[in-house]
Amino acid sequence: MTVSAIEFSRLGPPKLRLYAMRCGACGVLQPWWEHHHCYACGGGDLSEEELAGGGVLSNYTVVYYPPRDFLGQEPYVVGHITMDEGVLMPAPVVGVAPEDVEVGTRVRSTLRRMKLGHEGDIYYSQKFVVDEGAPAAPPA
Amino acid sequence: MRVGVLGIGKTPHKIQHGKSLRDLVVEAGRAALADAGVEPADIQALYVGNVGSVGFNYENSTGLMSAHHLGVVPAGAVRVEAACGTGAWALHLGCVAILSGLYDTVMVLGAEKMNDLATVEGTSIIAQAADSKEEYFSGLTFPSGVALTARKYMQTYDLTEEDLAHTSVKNHHYGARNPYAHLRFECTVEEVMRSAKVADPLKLYEVCPMTDAGSALVLCREEILADQPDKPQVYVTATQMATGTWYAASDTLADAHALLAAPAQRAYEMAGVSADDIDVAEIYNSFAIQEPLGVEALGFAAQGEGWKGAADGSTWIDGKVGVNLSGGLLCKGHPLGATGSTQAVDIVEQLRGTAPPDMQRAEAEVGISACRGGPGAVGAIHVYQRLEDGS
Repeated sequence: MTVSAIEFSRLGPPKLRLYAMRCGACGVLQPWWEHHHCYACGGGDLSEEELAGGGVLSNYTVVYYPPRDFLGQEPYVVGHITMDEGVLMPAPVVGVAPEDVEVGTRVRSTLRRMKLGHEGDIYYSQKFVVDEGAPAAPPA
Repeated sequence: MRVGVLGIGKTPHKIQHGKSLRDLVVEAGRAALADAGVEPADIQALYVGNVGSVGFNYENSTGLMSAHHLGVVPAGAVRVEAACGTGAWALHLGCVAILSGLYDTVMVLGAEKMNDLATVEGTSIIAQAADSKEEYFSGLTFPSGVALTARKYMQTYDLTEEDLAHTSVKNHHYGARNPYAHLRFECTVEEVMRSAKVADPLKLYEVCPMTDAGSALVLCREEILADQPDKPQVYVTATQMATGTWYAASDTLADAHALLAAPAQRAYEMAGVSADDIDVAEIYNSFAIQEPLGVEALGFAAQGEGWKGAADGSTWIDGKVGVNLSGGLLCKGHPLGATGSTQAVDIVEQLRGTAPPDMQRAEAEVGISACRGGPGAVGAIHVYQRLEDGS
């Protein structure tokens, strides 16, 4: 996606942190992009809440045809990670071969280079790696 | 409520390097005018569905460009955009315009010229039809967002990739027989399984191609069509729209179901028909998984069982309901802005009895089209009926 330097200044820095938005009215935790109103109750009192970084891979896909900003990384895994705090986060899962990815695997976040913008701007953000220290997932 | 379908037209759906966006607009529009037996000057308003000309073709104001090249000036003209539901939304606006009583005759046209750019650029433009700013920061693409839905569906209902592959087999059976389709070959479950991975678990034969095409309908007040009994008496009898989930991360299977089920229920009530009355359905399937989701939402099967019809024959031409007898988006391709209008044209052909012989459902009288996009953000339902008494 083409972005301007101005947009980069707006989009880039928040992606360095791992946080979600907590609704002050109903308490539902939701992804970082919900800041205009709570998608569950419509309330307008949303505040940032840091996430600890651990979660479980609940769904995933492997991207073989990336958009331009991700060219060269394919094939890469994008997962839906159910964070320990309960919110679902979409993010790349790295350091594991696509054929070895399994739903139910414990993962943890790590700050990595995410993609290259058109003007050479480098985006950093949260990717996830398999949490080797975690106990094996219980049988489904 | 009834809106007369006075004329239909479409271009071949394929890669057309020799044609521009305006060439496709004119070809489809003139075909519909000729079929309707009206002149450009008879068109009072023009609704042009087009998703991405700003990106694909570096041109904007597609509605106004179309008005000029079709010669419908000074009719009002506007470009309509609602992701993959664009063509269906143009149709909705055309119907609403007629039903309002403001206009007697309008044209609905959808067109997209996608192949002026390389695949990677096209993929980036298509990604803008969902949340390219925040959610797709994660490297998601349109196909991979839907792939997550496919895996969720497989997990929830304990299905295999082979189970879902039957949908592509059925679509390719009919696509091979559709002279207007982009991909005209048959395939087996094994060939679907062997086709290249696009976004796991979606494989190449479960993903629509990028296609250049246009399609158009001339709509009129019902009296105008009823007064011409020599013309096929096909009417739009329901038009219903909905929005749903903008983000894949919060798009549950229940949401994906409701996106089409809710407007479908309203449409059935509006038309005074039920799912059992439907002979033919065009169901949005830019990715194969979306066909069973649509089959379920329209009430043709229980949730989790929409995939079975392609395997057991009940959604084939002589089954309970003929679903995507055109080959669906999987074979026609998905010329974004034209997809919804082409679904409408294909259903009207079925009800007129003028579909190609191997695709024509016998005695089709009631049809439905279901378009989705975003991919969870827009739902669109239209019901069509052949009414021989015309009144």
